[in-house]
Amino acid sequence: MTWEWIRLIGSGGCLLIGMIFMILAVFGVNRFHRALNRMHAAAMGDTLGILFVFLGLMLMRGWSMDSLKLLLVILFFWIASPVSGHMISRLEVMTDEHLGEMMVIHREKKPGENQESEEKGKEKQHETV
Amino acid sequence: MTGQGIAGTGGLAACYAGLLTGALLVLAVLIIISIIRSVLGPGISDRIIAVNMTGTMIIMMIAILSVFLDENYLVDVCLIYAMISFLGVVVLCKVYTGVFLQRKHMRANLEAIDDNLHHQDTDIVEVVEKEETEL
Repeated sequence: MTWEWIRLIGSGGCLLIGMIFMILAVFGVNRFHRALNRMHAAAMGDTLGILFVFLGLMLMRGWSMDSLKLLLVILFFWIASPVSGHMISRLEVMTDEHLGEMMVIHREKKPGENQESEEKGKEKQHETV
Repeated sequence: MTGQGIAGTGGLAACYAGLLTGALLVLAVLIIISIIRSVLGPGISDRIIAVNMTGTMIIMMIAILSVFLDENYLVDVCLIYAMISFLGVVVLCKVYTGVFLQRKHMRANLEAIDDNLHHQDTDIVEVVEKEETEL
Protein backbone atom coordinates (compact mmCIF):
# COMPACT_ATOMS: atom_id res chain seq x y z
CA MET A 1 0.00 0.00 0.00
CA THR A 2 2.79 2.43 0.84
CA TRP A 3 4.45 1.80 -2.52
CA GLU A 4 1.25 2.74 -4.29
CA TRP A 5 1.06 5.99 -2.36
CA ILE A 6 4.70 6.71 -3.23
CA ARG A 7 3.89 6.07 -6.88
CA LEU A 8 0.91 8.43 -6.66
CA ILE A 9 3.07 11.18 -5.17
CA GLY A 10 5.85 10.65 -7.72
CA SER A 11 3.60 10.64 -10.77
CA GLY A 12 1.54 13.54 -9.44
CA GLY A 13 4.69 15.55 -8.77
CA CYS A 14 6.01 14.87 -12.27
CA LEU A 15 2.68 15.86 -13.81
CA LEU A 16 2.60 19.04 -11.72
CA ILE A 17 6.15 20.00 -12.72
CA GLY A 18 5.27 19.40 -16.37
CA MET A 19 2.19 21.60 -16.06
CA ILE A 20 4.29 24.33 -14.43
CA PHE A 21 6.76 24.14 -17.34
CA MET A 22 3.93 24.41 -19.87
CA ILE A 23 2.44 27.41 -18.04
CA LEU A 24 5.88 29.06 -18.06
CA ALA A 25 6.26 28.34 -21.77
CA VAL A 26 2.89 29.91 -22.64
CA PHE A 27 3.67 32.86 -20.36
CA GLY A 28 7.03 33.37 -22.05
CA VAL A 29 5.54 33.19 -25.54
CA ASN A 30 3.00 35.86 -24.59
CA ARG A 31 5.50 38.01 -22.72
CA PHE A 32 8.46 38.28 -25.09
CA HIS A 33 8.33 40.60 -28.10
CA ARG A 34 10.74 39.01 -30.57
CA ALA A 35 10.18 35.73 -32.32
CA LEU A 36 13.64 34.40 -31.44
CA ASN A 37 13.01 35.06 -27.74
CA ARG A 38 9.61 33.41 -28.02
CA MET A 39 11.18 30.37 -29.58
CA HIS A 40 13.36 29.93 -26.50
CA ALA A 41 10.31 29.68 -24.22
CA ALA A 42 8.45 27.41 -26.63
CA ALA A 43 11.41 25.03 -26.92
CA MET A 44 11.54 24.74 -23.13
CA GLY A 45 7.91 23.60 -23.13
CA ASP A 46 8.62 21.21 -25.99
CA THR A 47 11.43 19.40 -24.18
CA LEU A 48 11.11 19.71 -20.41
CA GLY A 49 7.31 19.96 -20.30
CA ILE A 50 6.76 16.88 -22.43
CA LEU A 51 9.49 14.99 -20.53
CA PHE A 52 7.89 15.51 -17.12
CA VAL A 53 4.28 14.97 -18.22
CA PHE A 54 5.11 11.74 -20.03
CA LEU A 55 7.33 10.57 -17.15
CA GLY A 56 4.36 11.00 -14.81
CA LEU A 57 2.11 9.10 -17.19
CA MET A 58 4.69 6.30 -17.48
CA LEU A 59 4.84 6.04 -13.70
CA MET A 60 1.05 5.83 -13.57
CA ARG A 61 0.89 3.24 -16.32
CA GLY A 62 3.48 0.90 -14.87
CA TRP A 63 5.81 -1.37 -16.79
CA SER A 64 4.04 -2.19 -20.05
CA MET A 65 4.14 -1.70 -23.81
CA ASP A 66 2.25 1.59 -23.51
CA SER A 67 4.90 3.21 -21.36
CA LEU A 68 7.52 2.14 -23.88
CA LYS A 69 5.49 3.89 -26.57
CA LEU A 70 5.30 7.00 -24.39
CA LEU A 71 9.10 6.85 -24.08
CA LEU A 72 9.26 6.62 -27.87
CA VAL A 73 7.17 9.80 -28.14
CA ILE A 74 9.59 11.58 -25.79
CA LEU A 75 12.58 10.43 -27.86
CA PHE A 76 10.91 11.47 -31.09
CA PHE A 77 10.13 14.89 -29.66
CA TRP A 78 13.69 15.39 -28.47
CA ILE A 79 14.93 14.63 -31.97
CA ALA A 80 12.27 16.58 -33.88
CA SER A 81 11.93 19.70 -31.73
CA PRO A 82 15.45 21.11 -32.34
CA VAL A 83 15.07 20.51 -36.06
CA SER A 84 11.77 22.40 -36.27
CA GLY A 85 13.23 25.13 -34.05
CA HIS A 86 16.15 25.48 -36.44
CA MET A 87 13.77 25.77 -39.40
CA ILE A 88 11.68 28.43 -37.65
CA SER A 89 14.76 30.42 -36.65
CA ARG A 90 16.09 30.32 -40.21
CA LEU A 91 12.75 31.59 -41.50
CA GLU A 92 12.77 34.35 -38.89
CA VAL A 93 16.33 35.44 -39.69
CA MET A 94 15.51 35.48 -43.40
CA THR A 95 12.24 37.40 -43.22
CA ASP A 96 12.76 39.83 -40.34
CA GLU A 97 14.23 43.11 -41.53
CA HIS A 98 14.53 44.71 -38.10
CA LEU A 99 16.58 41.90 -36.62
CA GLY A 100 19.75 43.91 -36.03
CA GLU A 101 18.06 46.56 -33.94
CA MET A 102 18.51 46.36 -30.22
CA MET A 103 15.64 46.39 -27.78
CA VAL A 104 15.96 49.49 -25.62
CA ILE A 105 15.67 48.52 -22.00
CA HIS A 106 14.15 51.22 -19.84
CA ARG A 107 15.56 50.95 -16.36
CA GLU A 108 15.09 53.25 -13.48
CA LYS A 109 17.87 55.73 -13.12
CA LYS A 110 19.47 55.62 -9.74
CA PRO A 111 21.20 58.72 -8.41
CA GLY A 112 24.92 58.70 -9.05
CA GLU A 113 24.72 56.15 -11.83
CA ASN A 114 25.28 57.11 -15.43
CA GLN A 115 23.95 54.14 -17.31
CA GLU A 116 22.05 55.91 -20.05
CA SER A 117 25.02 57.19 -22.00
CA GLU A 118 26.51 53.70 -22.10
CA GLU A 119 23.31 52.23 -23.50
CA LYS A 120 23.10 54.92 -26.15
CA GLY A 121 26.69 54.23 -27.14
CA LYS A 122 25.95 50.55 -27.49
CA GLU A 123 22.87 51.29 -29.56
CA LYS A 124 24.76 53.54 -31.96
CA GLN A 125 27.50 50.97 -32.27
CA HIS A 126 24.95 48.34 -33.15
CA GLU A 127 23.21 50.50 -35.71
CA THR A 128 26.36 51.05 -37.68
CA VAL A 129 26.99 47.33 -38.04
CA MET B 1 -15.69 4.07 -17.09
CA THR B 2 -13.13 6.68 -16.18
CA GLY B 3 -10.05 5.76 -14.22
CA GLN B 4 -10.22 2.06 -15.01
CA GLY B 5 -6.67 1.82 -16.25
CA ILE B 6 -5.21 3.00 -12.99
CA ALA B 7 -4.04 0.59 -10.32
CA GLY B 8 -5.66 0.74 -6.92
CA THR B 9 -9.17 1.12 -5.68
CA GLY B 10 -11.25 3.67 -3.85
CA GLY B 11 -9.41 6.76 -2.69
CA LEU B 12 -6.28 6.09 -4.71
CA ALA B 13 -8.15 5.84 -8.02
CA ALA B 14 -10.05 9.01 -7.14
CA CYS B 15 -6.74 10.79 -6.52
CA TYR B 16 -5.39 9.70 -9.92
CA ALA B 17 -8.61 10.73 -11.69
CA GLY B 18 -8.50 14.15 -10.00
CA LEU B 19 -4.87 14.67 -11.00
CA LEU B 20 -5.53 13.77 -14.63
CA THR B 21 -8.67 15.92 -14.80
CA GLY B 22 -6.79 18.89 -13.35
CA ALA B 23 -3.99 18.47 -15.88
CA LEU B 24 -6.53 18.28 -18.71
CA LEU B 25 -8.25 21.47 -17.54
CA VAL B 26 -4.94 23.38 -17.28
CA LEU B 27 -3.95 22.19 -20.76
CA ALA B 28 -7.31 23.29 -22.20
CA VAL B 29 -6.85 26.82 -20.85
CA LEU B 30 -3.25 26.94 -22.15
CA ILE B 31 -4.36 25.76 -25.60
CA ILE B 32 -6.94 28.55 -25.80
CA ILE B 33 -4.30 31.15 -24.82
CA SER B 34 -1.88 29.71 -27.36
CA ILE B 35 -4.47 29.82 -30.16
CA ILE B 36 -5.19 33.47 -29.32
CA ARG B 37 -1.45 34.17 -29.53
CA SER B 38 -1.30 32.45 -32.92
CA VAL B 39 -4.02 34.81 -34.16
CA LEU B 40 -2.40 37.91 -32.63
CA GLY B 41 1.24 37.18 -33.44
CA PRO B 42 2.67 39.96 -35.59
CA GLY B 43 5.04 37.93 -37.74
CA ILE B 44 4.66 34.63 -39.56
CA SER B 45 7.27 32.92 -37.36
CA ASP B 46 5.35 33.93 -34.22
CA ARG B 47 2.29 32.21 -35.59
CA ILE B 48 4.24 29.06 -36.49
CA ILE B 49 5.75 28.96 -32.98
CA ALA B 50 2.30 29.28 -31.37
CA VAL B 51 0.83 26.58 -33.62
CA ASN B 52 3.76 24.28 -32.83
CA MET B 53 3.19 24.77 -29.09
CA THR B 54 -0.53 24.10 -29.50
CA GLY B 55 0.35 20.82 -31.19
CA THR B 56 2.64 19.87 -28.31
CA MET B 57 -0.12 20.50 -25.79
CA ILE B 58 -2.66 18.53 -27.83
CA ILE B 59 -0.21 15.59 -27.86
CA MET B 60 -0.01 15.83 -24.06
CA MET B 61 -3.82 15.85 -23.85
CA ILE B 62 -4.10 12.73 -26.01
CA ALA B 63 -1.50 10.92 -23.88
CA ILE B 64 -3.29 11.90 -20.66
CA LEU B 65 -6.61 10.72 -22.12
CA SER B 66 -5.05 7.38 -23.05
CA VAL B 67 -4.28 6.81 -19.36
CA PHE B 68 -7.54 8.33 -18.17
CA LEU B 69 -9.83 6.28 -20.41
CA ASP B 70 -7.59 3.18 -20.50
CA GLU B 71 -7.46 3.06 -24.29
CA ASN B 72 -4.18 1.70 -25.65
CA TYR B 73 -4.58 2.88 -29.21
CA LEU B 74 -4.58 6.56 -28.18
CA VAL B 75 -0.81 6.30 -27.57
CA ASP B 76 -0.36 5.33 -31.23
CA VAL B 77 -2.54 8.27 -32.22
CA CYS B 78 -0.26 10.46 -30.10
CA LEU B 79 2.88 9.22 -31.88
CA ILE B 80 1.36 9.76 -35.33
CA TYR B 81 0.16 13.21 -34.29
CA ALA B 82 3.69 14.13 -33.21
CA MET B 83 5.09 13.08 -36.57
CA ILE B 84 2.45 14.95 -38.58
CA SER B 85 2.86 18.07 -36.44
CA PHE B 86 6.63 18.05 -37.06
CA LEU B 87 6.05 17.56 -40.78
CA GLY B 88 3.56 20.43 -40.82
CA VAL B 89 5.99 22.84 -39.19
CA VAL B 90 8.81 21.93 -41.58
CA VAL B 91 6.56 22.26 -44.64
CA LEU B 92 5.18 25.62 -43.45
CA CYS B 93 8.70 26.97 -42.94
CA LYS B 94 9.80 25.81 -46.37
CA VAL B 95 6.71 27.26 -48.06
CA TYR B 96 7.07 30.66 -46.41
CA THR B 97 10.78 30.78 -47.19
CA GLY B 98 9.92 30.18 -50.86
CA VAL B 99 7.18 32.81 -50.85
CA PHE B 100 9.50 35.36 -49.28
CA LEU B 101 12.28 34.71 -51.79
CA GLN B 102 9.84 34.94 -54.70
CA ARG B 103 8.51 38.29 -53.48
CA LYS B 104 12.05 39.56 -52.98
CA HIS B 105 13.05 38.64 -56.51
CA MET B 106 9.91 40.22 -57.93
CA ARG B 107 10.55 43.44 -56.02
CA ALA B 108 14.16 43.51 -57.23
CA ASN B 109 13.02 43.05 -60.83
CA LEU B 110 10.48 45.87 -60.58
CA GLU B 111 13.07 48.18 -59.03
CA ALA B 112 15.49 47.40 -61.84
CA ILE B 113 12.80 48.22 -64.41
CA ASP B 114 12.03 51.52 -62.66
CA ASP B 115 15.69 52.37 -62.56
CA ASN B 116 16.00 51.67 -66.24
CA LEU B 117 13.00 53.85 -67.02
CA HIS B 118 14.39 56.79 -65.12
CA HIS B 119 17.58 56.70 -67.12
CA GLN B 120 15.82 56.68 -70.44
CA ASP B 121 14.41 59.71 -72.19
CA THR B 122 12.36 57.84 -74.76
CA ASP B 123 8.65 57.10 -74.61
CA ILE B 124 8.16 55.74 -71.13
CA VAL B 125 4.60 54.63 -71.63
CA GLU B 126 5.46 52.31 -74.48
CA VAL B 127 8.28 50.67 -72.53
CA VAL B 128 6.05 50.13 -69.51
CA GLU B 129 3.40 48.48 -71.63
CA LYS B 130 6.00 46.30 -73.26
CA GLU B 131 7.44 45.21 -69.92
CA GLU B 132 3.99 44.44 -68.58
CA THR B 133 3.14 42.28 -71.54
CA GLU B 134 6.41 40.46 -71.07
CA LEU B 135 5.78 39.87 -67.41
